Order: sequence, then structure tokens, then C-alpha cells
Amino acid sequence: MSSSQEESLVENLKALFKDNVLETKLPMSRRLFVAVSPDVYEDVIKFLVKEKQVTHLSTMTGMDLGEKIEVLSHFFGLGMEITIRVAVPKEKPEIKSIVSIVPGAVFYEREIHDLLGVTFIGHPDLARLVLSEDWPEGEYPLRRDYKVQPPKPLREV
Amino acid sequence: MSSFIIPIGPQHPALKEPEHFTFFVDGEYVTDVKVRIGYMHRGIEKAMEDRTYNQGIYLASRICICTEAHTTCFVQNVEYAMDLKPPRRAEFIRVILCELNRLQSHMLWIGAGGHEIGFDTLFMYLWRDRERVLDILELITGNRITYAMMAVGGVRRDITSDMIAKIQKAMDIVEERAKYYKKVVLSEQSIMARTIGIGTLTPREALELCSVGPILRASGIKSDVRADDPYAAYDETPFNVITYDGCDVYSRFLVRVDEMFESINIIRYCLDHMPQDPIRIKLVKVAPEGEAVSRVEAPRGELIHYLMGKGDVKPYRYKIRAPTLGILPSLVRMLTSRENYVVKIGDIPAIVGGIDPCFCCTDRAVKFIDVSKGKTWSCSYDELNKYANRRYRKVG
Repeated sequence: MSSSQEESLVENLKALFKDNVLETKLPMSRRLFVAVSPDVYEDVIKFLVKEKQVTHLSTMTGMDLGEKIEVLSHFFGLGMEITIRVAVPKEKPEIKSIVSIVPGAVFYEREIHDLLGVTFIGHPDLARLVLSEDWPEGEYPLRRDYKVQPPKPLREV
Repeated sequence: MSSFIIPIGPQHPALKEPEHFTFFVDGEYVTDVKVRIGYMHRGIEKAMEDRTYNQGIYLASRICICTEAHTTCFVQNVEYAMDLKPPRRAEFIRVILCELNRLQSHMLWIGAGGHEIGFDTLFMYLWRDRERVLDILELITGNRITYAMMAVGGVRRDITSDMIAKIQKAMDIVEERAKYYKKVVLSEQSIMARTIGIGTLTPREALELCSVGPILRASGIKSDVRADDPYAAYDETPFNVITYDGCDVYSRFLVRVDEMFESINIIRYCLDHMPQDPIRIKLVKVAPEGEAVSRVEAPRGELIHYLMGKGDVKPYRYKIRAPTLGILPSLVRMLTSRENYVVKIGDIPAIVGGIDPCFCCTDRAVKFIDVSKGKTWSCSYDELNKYANRRYRKVG
């Protein structure tokens, strides 16, 4: 299958955002991974949604990479799954929210905020979504350093 | 603005699964809604990181009732990451199982949808006929719900020729019944009165809020992962993407009823065209460093899994997004009165039930807040359901 559609999108992005497009990968047909720098993250999303009409956000993934936390937005459009990845430093995990561009991102960003502690600037409501109210502040279960404690026995034998 | 706040949930907002809704109401009209999920958060993504790929399949199959969609998505994702290609026969068997799973899920929902609007006869009929499909699944896999049929690089059991005859016979019966249900849905006044014009979601809103599956298709948008991003044997299986443009709960009924016929036809096609192949290839344990995204059309819509491997027997990160989370923003919109479309308290069961929610499984209350009086009152979902049925009986 020709991947010209994918390649032309990559060229498009590289022409527009130049060095801010850090890495592109085409592991198989209909799958495209693009790493961008945080400075142009919002503009790349805007370009995809407004110019290319890629309006369907499948989901957003947060991933702990040790020094950094990566936020991946998986879009489907133009007949392929486009993943835009952006890395933020772990000491200050902040990134602009894309809810104003893609209203469907509202719960995905809240989920990442909840489980990985990334703050999305400009998000309308970053309240807890999946963790319980009595979950300790500042503990993020999907970070790699969080270890699952085995449940305590009901009584000592 | 004045309104009254009604909490619904966390248990049993619809279909006996826990989620918490807070409804802001002004008199009889819902003006705003807030959703709180997580009552069934089991940390499966974290647990995946501690399991090998082979163990992960069985964890994935326990995510929810769309067990076949989750396991297919999982094994596909691992195959993408390992660059494996399962034998063609295995891909056909995957399609048959996914469609049988869709068939039983749609039958479950049409029955439960009938129950939500106080039409329990439909519920009893559908759930009786659903047993036919479950019997077939039991015949093939040995289980009624968690099938555990998928394996990395193929499937675990074959479909033999005497099974084929039995499946075909069951499909004929189910098709006959589905025709009858379509007639019921098209002619029954009690369904129409409770669903036409209820839970409106315009095509523009559906696209904007990234809605998925039957909800999107009932808003007239032709979108189906099976057609747009074909996986397994869907690339050669002919089928129609069903759309209706009513944008309401009634259209969602019709989409699901029509998809039953499509599923039956896909199963028949696959039974006739399965090649003679082995059913799986040798297991590879380690995924090389890299990532993969796999998408599957689950009964409730697009299901997406993301896998990051670091050259280990276990994934470094595994992300799952089930269809209901994708539908939630649309559900919030459907439940909010806007412009000349109003949502009444009595419509809540039909709308929440109408998305076929799957929050995976239990039962409690709804909270209503009156913004004008600042008063709060709670009621259980059963009470709300009875209230809605009573009200509509009065209206006639």
C-alpha cells in the first residue's frame, strides 16, 4: 500500500514547523508518529484540526519516561492514525490544554492529570476523574516510581 | 441562574454500572450535568506493566463485556509491535468471534434499552434470543462471556465443520428474530414516544466531541473502524456501515438493530470463505523496542490500545481507551438543555441507557440540585426509572 498520504503530511509538517518537528516514524501503513517540541504543540494540533480537518481525537496517553513525561494525542483522519507526542520535564509537568481546539479532549486531559500529574494550562476543570477523593495528593499511580503495594492481610496469622 | 442539583450514582446510573452524575435542574429541565467516573477503576493499565504479553491477554479479556474486542485489540497491538502476521484462518475466526460478541452485546442493549423505557416484554424476548448467540459462543470457545480465544499470532481453538452447521442454523433463527424486532421498533408506539427527539446530538457536535460508534452513526456520520482502518479479515468482508440521521435515541435503536443483520451476514460470509490454514504461529515472547497503536470497532464504538515496548517480555506502557470514555463528552451534551432542545428529568434513563454505557458493574443513587432553592435531593435509579415511566404514562 502506498504511504504517500502519510509522507506528504510529514513533509507538510516539516515545512511549517521546521526544527520543532523532532522525529517522525512510519512503523506500518496507516500509522504515523510525530514528536514535536512543546513550543509548537498547540499550533500543530491547530494545523491538523483546522487545516487538515483531522477532527477525531481517539485518545490521549500519558507516559513516564524517567526524566520526562510524554503526552501523546492519537488522532484519526486522512485515513491514518496520527500520534502527536510532546515531552514535558518531570519537575514541571505543564503543557497547554487543547480543549479549546478539540472539545472532545476534556476527559482525556483530566485522566492524565489525575494519573500522571501533568497540568494542562487552560483546561476548564481539572478535577479528579478516576482516583478516589481520599487518594493522597502528589501520588501519581501511572508514574514508574509508584510501586503497587500488595494488600495487607486482614489479620496477622 | 437558578437550579436544583440532583446526584445520580455512583451506582446504577444505567445498566447497573457505577458512575456518578450530578444534574442541575430548573424545575423539570436539566440545565447542566457533571460526570464523575472511576468507581470501577481497577488499575488495569498499571497491572499490564507487571504482566507478560501472554498474561496480558487474559487481563484484557476481563476489562468488560466487549471481551472479544479488547483481546483482539490487545493481540493485534502486540503483533504490530512484534511485526507478526497471524494466519488468514485465524483472522477469519477473530472476525466471527468479534461479530458474535457484537451480536450478543447489541441484543443485550436493545433489551436493556427496552427496560429503560418501561418496555420489559422486549427485554425478556431479546434476552431469551441472546441465549442462542451465547450458546454458539460456548460451543466455539467453551465460555459464555470471557472467551479467552485470542493468542498472540492467532487464535486458540479452531472452528470445525460440525460447528459451522450449528452456527449457520443459529444465525437463521437469530435473523428471523431480528426481523421481528425491527418490525417492533418501527411500529411500537411506546418506543417512539420515549425516544424520538430525545437525546439529540447534531452531527457537528458529534464530530466536535469526538464521539464514536453507534452514537456517531446515529448522528448520520459514516464512521466505522472496520471500514476506515480495516483489521483482521475485515478488508475482504463485505458489509454496510449503517447510518441514520435522526440524531436521537430512536436512531440509536435503529442503528443497532440494523447492525445485527450486518453481523449475521459477516459471520455467514466468513464461515463460507475461511481458508484452510493453521490457526496460529509459534509464540514470540519479546517485543522489540518500539510502539504500536491498535484500533478495533467494539460493539460500543472505537476501541484503541497503545503499546510501548522496551525490548522486554512485558510492556513498558499500555494504554486502553474504551468506547464509553469517548462517548462521555457527547453524553454530557445530550443531557444538557440548549437552545430549543430541552431535557426533562424523565428522559435521563432513556438518554443514559441510549449510549449503551459500559462502566464495568453495580447499583445506587441520583442527586438533583435545585439551583433556585439551593435544595438537594437524592433518589435511586430505580425510583428515577419509576418516576419517568409514571410521568410518561400520564402524558400518554
